[in-house]
Amino acid sequence: MDHRRITFLLALIWTIVAVLPLFFGGTNFIMHILIMCLIWSVVASCWDLIMGFAGIFSFGQVAFFVMGAYASAIISAQFGIPPIFAVFIAGGITAAIGILVGLPCLKLKGAYIALVTFAVHMILEPVLKGDIGRAIGTGGTRGLLTIEPMTIFGYTFTTASPVPYFYLMLLVAVICSVIILVVIKSHWGTAFLALKDSQEFSACLGVSAFKYKLMVFALTSFLTGMMGGFYAHYVGMLSTRMLGIDLFVTLMVILVIGGVGKFPGAVIGAFITIAINELLSPLGPYRPITMGAMVVILVLVLPDGIVGLFERLFSKKPHGITH
Amino acid sequence: MVIEIADVIISGLINGSVYALMAVGLTLIYGVSKAFNFAYGSFYSLGGYIAFLLFGLSFINNYFLVFLLAVPILLVFGYFVEKALVAPLRKRDDWEIKVMMITLGLALFLDNSFQVIFGSRMKSLPPFLEGGFEAGDFYLSHQDVGIFFLSIGGILMFRWFLNNTRTGMSVRAVAQNPAGAQIVGIPKEFVFAATFAISTVMVGMGGILLAQKYFITPMGGWDILVKAWVITAFGGMGSIRGGLYAAFIVGMLEAFVGWYFGMTWTLIVLFAVLLTTLAVRPQGLLGKWG
Repeated sequence: MDHRRITFLLALIWTIVAVLPLFFGGTNFIMHILIMCLIWSVVASCWDLIMGFAGIFSFGQVAFFVMGAYASAIISAQFGIPPIFAVFIAGGITAAIGILVGLPCLKLKGAYIALVTFAVHMILEPVLKGDIGRAIGTGGTRGLLTIEPMTIFGYTFTTASPVPYFYLMLLVAVICSVIILVVIKSHWGTAFLALKDSQEFSACLGVSAFKYKLMVFALTSFLTGMMGGFYAHYVGMLSTRMLGIDLFVTLMVILVIGGVGKFPGAVIGAFITIAINELLSPLGPYRPITMGAMVVILVLVLPDGIVGLFERLFSKKPHGITH
Repeated sequence: MVIEIADVIISGLINGSVYALMAVGLTLIYGVSKAFNFAYGSFYSLGGYIAFLLFGLSFINNYFLVFLLAVPILLVFGYFVEKALVAPLRKRDDWEIKVMMITLGLALFLDNSFQVIFGSRMKSLPPFLEGGFEAGDFYLSHQDVGIFFLSIGGILMFRWFLNNTRTGMSVRAVAQNPAGAQIVGIPKEFVFAATFAISTVMVGMGGILLAQKYFITPMGGWDILVKAWVITAFGGMGSIRGGLYAAFIVGMLEAFVGWYFGMTWTLIVLFAVLLTTLAVRPQGLLGKWG
């Protein structure tokens, strides 16, 4: 897709989302879901950027999100830093960890990267629950139960009236999506395409895999960690339950529905997936089964997601030619 | 002290042997078809649950019958999963990531189905053999010995299969050069499905063997997936001998770390070892790129 089409789609999506509180503003439950949609849309877009565009099979996005959430909560509680700054510091910390994780990944390929990043996810839970976690103030198995709410210029955002926080999140999501759009359409995005097609050849042309891959690790983990912070200060409590496979798969469904490497797709996918997830909640224990079956069926039936489907329907190009 | 260390070494050896069986299965799929199976851990639980169900049947009272019935079930299951889910994706450019996604979805589906069908309570299997050897404070149960020899036997049987049967040789040919294998008339699609089925059997067998010691839980497979994966990467993806060495190293390491520092440290230490190996030798102990 060219950038005009993406910009138009994004503008359309965000305008529709911005007027939603006019209809649902009175229902806290729906506003809460919409806030979650906004948060997940950014996290999923970041994942799409690193996996779909940069072609790095990172499976550590949820881990970065949880790290950011814990970091922000701990910083604001222990050093008395206002949450609005703590969120960005948490982003910085997550970015640093992201670079640390990214460094060994630069030498690896394909499934190995998936292993290293997924291992980060798997060991995060014992670390947060264990002695190391308790030492830095994660609260161990109990988790963190009282996290300071977000405050800007003396105004405190509470879960009791979620509309203001919704607009704050909308602003953040818009800024993040613009950043991601700029990255995709700048020489970064071109470099990723080149690296994905042939790393050796693009290295010959002077495209540094090292620099670009590390940068994308840093950027995505910064944004993801920051969103984790925003999540923590909104919800007000954290536990390691978020590291369960449930959330991980929800994010994956978002990408599958939206389409991997079809940028605004992740944003659309987030709204659809979270809505489906809520609609399925009466199913109780059958909900994750349905989600799992949905992933399987969607990957087979709709391999390029909704955006890919529309591209196929409206594209004048003959089939078989990509990029 | 000496007895304790002997116990730790034995537990390392036994776990290592079962890990070897499972890691060889994982390395086999990756080596032959370059597909990564996220549902591998769920197949481990599936093996355990199938055995559990089989023991519920009145005419089954020993492990010989269980293996006799479970192996074909797992074989057919693995074959159909490959044919229905993985094979259709293969013609796409980005099939690698799509395979990871679809198997992850399958894992979620299976794990939660187990939870609904069997409940989240732990299930246990009767021990494989009763009794044990005793020498003073030292005790070695027959069950442990049995598990060790069955795993090693499974791996040896698999080696025999790869080296001496027609299907096994075509598996090796496809692993070496898929295009070349196809030119000489080896049915590539069938080999992919067959490898997937065999690896399902290996991890399912691992599930049946370890379930006697560690119980079966719906989500228990994730731990196994990560361990099998670490072993595979550590030994070198696609290298069966490397996987074998790595499995025993990891089994020992896990036993010693668990004994000395506590169980919560095992994953962290495993991860540290893995990162160091990959930083120094990205292709793993005995692996080759490609």
